[in-house]
Amino acid sequence: MTAEAKAAAPREYPWRIPANWWLRNRHYFLYIAREFTVVPIALWLLWLLVEIKRAGDGRAHYAPHGSTALVVFSVITLLFALYHSYTFLSLAGVIIHVKVLDRPVPSRVIVLAQFALWAVASVVVGFALIWFAR
Amino acid sequence: MLTTPNRIRWQVDFESYDVLVVGGGLAGIRAAIAAVETNPRVRVGMVSKVYPMRSHTVSAEGGAAAALRPEDSYENHAFDTVKGSDYLADQDVVEAFVREAPVEIIQMEHWGCPWSRDDDGKISARPFGGMTTWRTCFAADKTGFHMLHAVFQTSLKYPQIQRHDEAFVTKLLVEDSRCVGVVALDMKTGRFDAITAKSVILATGGLGRVYAFTTNGNICTGDGMSLAYRAGVGLKDMEMVQFHPTGLPFTGILITEAVRGEGGYLLNNEGERFLKRYVPNKMELGPRDIISRAMITEFEEGRGFEGPHGKYLHLDVRHLGEKVIDRKLPFMRELGREFVGIDIVKEPIPVRPVQHYMMGGVDADISGATPMAGLYAAGECANVGLNGANRLGSNSLPECLVFGAAAGRAATEYASSVKPVTSNPVDALLWDEAHRVEVAFLEKKGGTERMGAIREEMQHEMDQGAGVFRTKEGLEKLIERLGGLRERFGRIKIEDSSRTFNTELTSAMELDFMLELSQTIAVTALARDESRGAHARRDYPERNDEKFLKHSLVFSRDAAKPRLEYRDVHLGDFKPQARTY
Amino acid sequence: MADKRITIEAARYDPDKDERPRLQSYEIPFYDDSMVVLDALNYIKSEVDGSLSYRWSCRMGICGSCGMMVNGTPKLTCNAFVRDYWPRPITVQPLNNFPIIRDLVIDMDDFMHKLKEIKPWIIRKQEIPLGAGEHRQTNDQIDDFRQFSQCINCMLCYAACPVYGLNNEFLGPAAIALARRYNLDSRDQGLKQRLPVLADNEGVWECSFVGECSVVCPKGVDPAKAIQQTKLDTTLRFVLPYGNRD
Repeated sequence: MTAEAKAAAPREYPWRIPANWWLRNRHYFLYIAREFTVVPIALWLLWLLVEIKRAGDGRAHYAPHGSTALVVFSVITLLFALYHSYTFLSLAGVIIHVKVLDRPVPSRVIVLAQFALWAVASVVVGFALIWFAR
Repeated sequence: MLTTPNRIRWQVDFESYDVLVVGGGLAGIRAAIAAVETNPRVRVGMVSKVYPMRSHTVSAEGGAAAALRPEDSYENHAFDTVKGSDYLADQDVVEAFVREAPVEIIQMEHWGCPWSRDDDGKISARPFGGMTTWRTCFAADKTGFHMLHAVFQTSLKYPQIQRHDEAFVTKLLVEDSRCVGVVALDMKTGRFDAITAKSVILATGGLGRVYAFTTNGNICTGDGMSLAYRAGVGLKDMEMVQFHPTGLPFTGILITEAVRGEGGYLLNNEGERFLKRYVPNKMELGPRDIISRAMITEFEEGRGFEGPHGKYLHLDVRHLGEKVIDRKLPFMRELGREFVGIDIVKEPIPVRPVQHYMMGGVDADISGATPMAGLYAAGECANVGLNGANRLGSNSLPECLVFGAAAGRAATEYASSVKPVTSNPVDALLWDEAHRVEVAFLEKKGGTERMGAIREEMQHEMDQGAGVFRTKEGLEKLIERLGGLRERFGRIKIEDSSRTFNTELTSAMELDFMLELSQTIAVTALARDESRGAHARRDYPERNDEKFLKHSLVFSRDAAKPRLEYRDVHLGDFKPQARTY
Repeated sequence: MADKRITIEAARYDPDKDERPRLQSYEIPFYDDSMVVLDALNYIKSEVDGSLSYRWSCRMGICGSCGMMVNGTPKLTCNAFVRDYWPRPITVQPLNNFPIIRDLVIDMDDFMHKLKEIKPWIIRKQEIPLGAGEHRQTNDQIDDFRQFSQCINCMLCYAACPVYGLNNEFLGPAAIALARRYNLDSRDQGLKQRLPVLADNEGVWECSFVGECSVVCPKGVDPAKAIQQTKLDTTLRFVLPYGNRD
């Protein structure tokens, strides 16, 4: 095609994604919510690092921040973290594909296994934290 | 690039191809690949009015037949095909076909087509209409879909193949009785291009949309047949139109013959497997023409079901069970659910005969060559003499491969022996064609006829006059009506004056092609005073080998009735006999 | 079905006349219970306004031509039943995330380019000759990639993917699913050749698993699954010793 022909071609209307694209659909909104969970979790972890630093300065003088606001913030962050974990583990069935004896393992089994592992890990970590805190 | 005050934009494409394929379906793509494999230095162009994966090949379901198995033989496949054709097939062509088909099936397998397999890992086969042994290879019940995608995706690895997608060919360029290329409307820009080539292969598919009730998609308007016809090439056996027994009422969506191959029963309103009265030895696996006639006869004798969209019969697969249906006929289950709201595992499928395939087409020989130098044809748009008066199911997909490849090779060899095309005459031809389209369609003022109305009437008249059963009176009336529609077509109203993606313009050009082709069907059907294969005349119910063991050829004559000729069939080992199943 | 009517709001854009797309309203008969949105468009074009432009062909959900946004959701209009929307108006617009050529017709050249990039053909180190017959393959081996071979290239998944909408360089769901179809085919040996395109920043790693592609896919291809599995596979190849063997 000549340059002339290219130049004379009619104008296509370019695509521009609207700024509110993530409000147009329930799935998009939930996706953004899932991605957003990283923000409160990161903030909470920063606070945790601060507490660790403060605790490292000496046991005797250490008193963790315990205001109600921080408790509320922790609970909200916990809910976000649970939501994130739930979506992440639910999708494991899609990502992981294994075959046992030439038969594909059904995704339900994989997801249940993931949640089971999560439960076990939570119990172990929780137990360790409580044990070493005594 | 050139423009006139009327804003026609046109250019001559000086990158002349060695081989230009018109049509991006199975035959066209196969031809392009064959050209490149014959000579890696060849420059191949492919022009298609749609992106290739939209080609109607994609809707083929049942399978592709080939004599692959040790218990089968070329002779057996050839005999089934010749008998199926009601002895109108050219037997030398059939012989060549049955030998090449197995090679092409293996070639497709190498190119990634996911043929369904037997337990030993070899390509499986299922029974099919008119075949005396199980030779129809299949990819679940989406064989055409898988074949088209395999061959199209494979074609992407050859840089020698240049595609022009969504380019609508309006005319063949002919100089000194030699085909030298095409004029194509680039849909995105409205520009007319002259694409020149040393050889042109037409692979534009069928013309089902001349009928109201058809399995064919919107794009099946017979373009290539009309292009060749207008260039003076004859169309062969146009009266031979195939009606497939099992289409869904109202939409015409195809329910594959494989349903019957897997063991489905056809039942009338008395619950009877009525085919025992018509084809007792083959039952549901008889050839398509006989079964379609049987079904219409059942309707006429009051044994059809009445529905909101006309009469229908039942195709019952409940006895096959869910496992078999999900493994072998999953797409049918999906279609039943989506378009009729039934689960075929639990309910019978409503079906009626529907136009499906065109045996007739551009006059071509065993290598795809037409009588015009430089012009070849393959696939459904061509008539190479394989299918005669009735095509057996699962012969069309291998036909596209075998003759697509043959045409690709022949066109490449021809291209290496001729001089390139010069631009001078092409310039003038292009301007003439661009101007013709402008005047006939785009510049039209004061049109009064709605194009949709003309098209619907044509389709309705064709269903009535050139359907499963034909009569002299019906055909004469059809010819008269078509004449009237042609006259009204001269006064159509085109509302879309845009240059950009003007589908009203392309629809008008397609209707122009279709009116012409409808006329060729009607005229040849009227002239054939016998019943043979799919052409059934109530007034001449018997086959007349003395007078009509010949191909009909119809030629265009300006502003006059088409000219008819007849050509003897190439007989071979199989002498014509009574055709019973 | 006496006298039911349905309103179609169809997007219009003619580059010669319009600055930007606009909606045009058509009120037409809802003449049959099995009427689909494509039937409505055909009725408009045939009886009311011949200048409405859109793509369609097979009308049975296998050619992939007729994808459009129907009330904001990408759908095949041949499979979108008017009865599911009636009596409210139906808005029909061209697929999201693509440039618009005209009315309901989008430019799909970007997809055609990406299709070629992933090398969608059987790649073998050594071709077996035709005379040797077919590669042996079992139906179970076909089941490994069967789902990913069902793609009709309708591009509803690209219209649904916000990542593609924000960044047109992203390889996209259908292309990656097709690459996986070949990677999983027992006859293919070309995975290494497809890796550079797949394991690229604009390849699978641009995907953040929104998952909407799989929701809208009319053929159940589940491209989201294909992409995540490809991420896992390419990572294991990179991380495990001897992971990148053929």
